[in-house]
Amino acid sequence: MALLEIRDLHATVDEKPIINGLDLTIGAGEVHAIMGPNGSGKSTLSYVLTGREGYEVTGGEVLFDGKDLLDMAPDERAREGVFLAFQYPVEIPGVTNMNFLRTAVNAVRGHRGETPLDPMDFVKYIRERTGDLNISDDMLKRSVNTGFSGGEKKRMEILQMAALEPRFAILDETDSGLDIDALKLVADGVNAMRSPERGMLVITHYQRLLDYIVPDHVHVLANGRIVKSGGKELALELEEKGYAEFLEQAA
Amino acid sequence: MPDGSTNLTPFLDAARDGAAAFAGAGTGWVDALRRTGADAYGAHGLPRRQDEYWRYTTLNALAEGGFPLAAAGSVPAALPDAVPAIAAWRFILVDGRFAPSLSGLDGLPSGVEIASLAETLAHEPHKAEPTLGRVADLAAMPMVALNTAFLGDGLFLRLGPGIALDRPVHLVSLTTGGAAPAMIQPRHLVVLGDGATATLVETHVATAGGGGFTNAATEIELGAGARLHHFSEQGEDTARVFLSGTSVALGAASTYDSFVLQRGARIGRSEIRAVLGGPDAECRLDGIYLGAGEQVIDNTTYVEHAAPECRSRQVYKGVLDGFARGVFQGKVLVVQDAQKTDGHQLSRALLLSRDAEIDARPELEIYADDVKCSHGATAGELDETAMFYLLSRGIPAAVARRMLIEAFLSEALEEVAGETVAEHYAGRIRDWLAANVADGDAQ
Repeated sequence: MALLEIRDLHATVDEKPIINGLDLTIGAGEVHAIMGPNGSGKSTLSYVLTGREGYEVTGGEVLFDGKDLLDMAPDERAREGVFLAFQYPVEIPGVTNMNFLRTAVNAVRGHRGETPLDPMDFVKYIRERTGDLNISDDMLKRSVNTGFSGGEKKRMEILQMAALEPRFAILDETDSGLDIDALKLVADGVNAMRSPERGMLVITHYQRLLDYIVPDHVHVLANGRIVKSGGKELALELEEKGYAEFLEQAA
Repeated sequence: MPDGSTNLTPFLDAARDGAAAFAGAGTGWVDALRRTGADAYGAHGLPRRQDEYWRYTTLNALAEGGFPLAAAGSVPAALPDAVPAIAAWRFILVDGRFAPSLSGLDGLPSGVEIASLAETLAHEPHKAEPTLGRVADLAAMPMVALNTAFLGDGLFLRLGPGIALDRPVHLVSLTTGGAAPAMIQPRHLVVLGDGATATLVETHVATAGGGGFTNAATEIELGAGARLHHFSEQGEDTARVFLSGTSVALGAASTYDSFVLQRGARIGRSEIRAVLGGPDAECRLDGIYLGAGEQVIDNTTYVEHAAPECRSRQVYKGVLDGFARGVFQGKVLVVQDAQKTDGHQLSRALLLSRDAEIDARPELEIYADDVKCSHGATAGELDETAMFYLLSRGIPAAVARRMLIEAFLSEALEEVAGETVAEHYAGRIRDWLAANVADGDAQ
């Protein structure tokens, strides 16, 4: 059984159709990349899969591990193992990273029938996962993403992923706003999470990220559906030719 | 003006009729002060919407009168759990009367007086005479005028010059809810000599439901360089009408630092009027209020910069759920001579339901030309983006809402960080959130 199966998905935002009959199957252990121009529906897809308010599903179905994903509340999806690394991580003044991370990890652990971690054990748990992400104690004590640089925010997203150990992770434009060193750091963090049990969907506008997170499959999204699929070489082809050709095909 | 057709001056007869039996009756200035209070209240009557400082809170619930002065009730054997156990000089009022058996005032350092105001008026009225009734502006505060007509029991705290009190003074006001809803008119007087320092913690809680009416008045006089930290928690029964009027006179280079947590009462109102009367004085008024059901919670402030080079800062933050209504009226007046004034004021409210409401009116009135003043008011709902971010990490909706509300309040709560009451207040806020922001709430 596939880890994630999207069948003929249709979705609207403010009653405007954005996703128009999207099919995609991702197996455990696979990394898929979705590429597409601005406005093709990339971010909408990530929000539909994670259940954000205002993203209305008007047709089709999504099965996660055989379960109806669209029937679950956003927090339930996350506890079942769906994770979204945000393109623009949200600043939450007044909530410390440690409190945020521990509340989230314990919610997920509780769902898996594992015992919650007390603050002492949790510090250890997080330290085991910061790895090479270059995350200081000071960053962990500060409010969630508040005053963080673009690179710091993206590193924190990867730390959250490492802490929550999702079974399916969506990385939405994780490369945006990063210089090459920061990009490598984040990509290393993502690659460390690749495993036979875990699926990933990497959403990106540029091919550059895929030099560092090498996908098993590449899909081109245009006008809310996948217009071409292929191996990692498809990304290079796109980089060379641009999206115009595919947009014509989709029209 | 009272016109006789409806009762615009409830409780006035009770005050006048009872005056001969009140504490200190027979002492000329005490009798005269009560008459002044009665006359001021009689001339004005119960506050109405036309009154500048009562625009959003009506006292129709009091127009029928109907609350007799609370009789001396039985004093509980111990303080209820709702009262924080802090190491302090303990001054306990039960239904508005000093309760020595629950209080802890043995071994006060010299230069420090903590006593019952009623006993002071009865036995040593000269101690209160220089200050009592002289700080409050009775024309501006009609309910304080009514309190003055009753001039009853309460805390009398006096520190001699240069005294730094070693522990906070904990003023606990318990309402026990007698056979029928009754009224208390507590009166507090705080006088800090030049350079004296003290912390005053007030806790207002009910030991039983049933409603009633509290009309508290506090006068505070701070000598040159004196510092008072003043914390107040209003956790009254949600059927009660609770009004508190605090008047502060700040001397040169003195500091008044106030934090008010209001979470109880059907109508809960904290009014603070501070006059910065000497150069280099500093006044901080901060507060958090939590309203649910049909509560009305009112924070009204008036800060007068009457001398140059003074600073004032106000931050009030509230969370309102259900049909609750919040009121913030804050006025900063800077007189012509008060150059180099630094005055800031901020009101922020979080509305958790469609039916909750906040009426905010921040106001600056400035006659000096070299000042730094600002004010602002915001009202809004929980941020959808932040909410989704927390949900997307698996945090259940109710927990996420509580986290965001606590975060919203944290800025105001930082004002009490490190103080003895900080953990208690944070716990009170968590209790309120647990009771009012439940799993079943709509997002």
